Amino acid sequence: MEAIAGTGARSIHKAPEEELTALESLQFTDEIHLLMAAPPDSSSSFTALLELSAPQAVELLHLPESANLISNDSYKPTQMDDFKGSLHFPTDIALIERAARLSVFAGESNNKHSNSEKNSAETASDNSSADPEKAVKSEPAETEYSQPSGSDPTVHKKSVKRKEREKKAKGSAKKSKTAANESSDDAEQLPYVHVRARRGQATDSHSLAERARREKINARMKLLQELVPGCSKISGTALVLEEIINHVQSLQRQVEFLSMRLAAVNPRIDFNFDSIFTPEYMQATSLVDSNFPSMVMPVMWPEAQVGGNRQQCQQQWHLDILHQPGWEREEVCHNYITPENSLLSYDSSTNSATLHSSQSKMEL
Amino acid sequence: MPPPSSLKQEFLKKWMMGLHICSSSKKNMSILERKKAIKLSADIALASARNGTTCWSQAIIVNASQDDQDKILVQHVLGRESERLMKKGSVLPLTSNKRIRSRKILRRSCGSIRRRARKTIATSPPKVVAISIAKKLIRKRTQLLKRLVPGGKFIMDEISLIEETLDYIISLQAQVDVMRSLANAS
Repeated sequence: MEAIAGTGARSIHKAPEEELTALESLQFTDEIHLLMAAPPDSSSSFTALLELSAPQAVELLHLPESANLISNDSYKPTQMDDFKGSLHFPTDIALIERAARLSVFAGESNNKHSNSEKNSAETASDNSSADPEKAVKSEPAETEYSQPSGSDPTVHKKSVKRKEREKKAKGSAKKSKTAANESSDDAEQLPYVHVRARRGQATDSHSLAERARREKINARMKLLQELVPGCSKISGTALVLEEIINHVQSLQRQVEFLSMRLAAVNPRIDFNFDSIFTPEYMQATSLVDSNFPSMVMPVMWPEAQVGGNRQQCQQQWHLDILHQPGWEREEVCHNYITPENSLLSYDSSTNSATLHSSQSKMEL
Repeated sequence: MPPPSSLKQEFLKKWMMGLHICSSSKKNMSILERKKAIKLSADIALASARNGTTCWSQAIIVNASQDDQDKILVQHVLGRESERLMKKGSVLPLTSNKRIRSRKILRRSCGSIRRRARKTIATSPPKVVAISIAKKLIRKRTQLLKRLVPGGKFIMDEISLIEETLDYIISLQAQVDVMRSLANAS
């Protein structure tokens, strides 16, 4: 079930990212599991940036350590002869590592989304910011803006230059394009994530980023569709949004009506003890349209906190008995008596509870 | 997603706490006052169940803290968290107002582009027209959703808006269930 996967993935990710990563993982569970088993981020992002053809990518990944990969300058240039102007790699490596750690690569679409979120998760937890929800908010902001707003603009520019060089190299050979598609297919099994570059579609960073964003939005819309009843049959974002809006409006209206109803029932907004007993039993019974009286079985003594509340309530009722007019006094007296009954006699608890409910119905 | 039954439990406890505080402060409230108090303590209890991790819960708490009377209730229900949250809450509206103003300025300047777009729509094939209509509908409905979800106007990107809506719907459903069962019982 989603809940299990969400909570399972959440246990892996760190605390401030709970909501987001739980939802992310619902859709990207495979990829995130693979990510967790992956070599350090620097290597995976590095290979992703290279956009190598399939066999080269596989070979690089099968290399034992990421350190070897990075330090192995002699290995790379031989493979990079296909790419024009790619002899600048050694100098860029440090930048790539820094960038991968700082997770500024929102413009990089290839595999960046789960990776960058993981990176920003780590950076957010590393900074141990005092406001976790700001980190949570800036995290989607980072991944969504095609131009990163801030920490390393120079790194981004260099990466853009590198990507352009690679694009030129790619454009020269159609084979490399289809190979890239294949590599993205292979990537599903490899320990990093590619955004699937479909055949015939543009592979520049902007459209890929947009497509990944679209996929995210669609994933969340699916979640919403499952949540809102009667929405799973509908296709199309606009209609689904309409249903969601109707559902939210109806829920808000229900809250209004119910609060008015509760205000009408009770002359004072204190509720009786039955409602205070039930928190302990809500877990046992899943609280559908529950019969509160039938649930009151004081198997265990209420907590000290509740006991404290009861003391206050009893004192309040003592005062109120003096102040309130006639019929309200009756109700208060009934409220006062029945909890004592339920406390003193276990067997008659259900009886007293049903007695109370019937009394309140009479008064209504 | 936390299991719904613990959410309901927590919500009920905090709601009762809030109601006790409300009733102890005022006596002999009218029905409308009672309804407002009930709804307010329910909303604050719901927001405190999320405790500042989501945008809508923050917005509810901040809005409640604007009013002096409700502020006391918020502080009691939330405890120590309330001070931390209210500090953050004061930062949010300021930055977002600037963004909203700059967006409006941009929109006015882009009006001329829209006139040109309308001409192209009239001449283009029906598929493209349908797509543009769908986009308009989606845009309008996301704006409507932003207005519905508390604190939605501060959410800039669609993705987090959808996540907020998701969480908000779950919490609202729990709130409605608890209130309905309480109303049926009494």
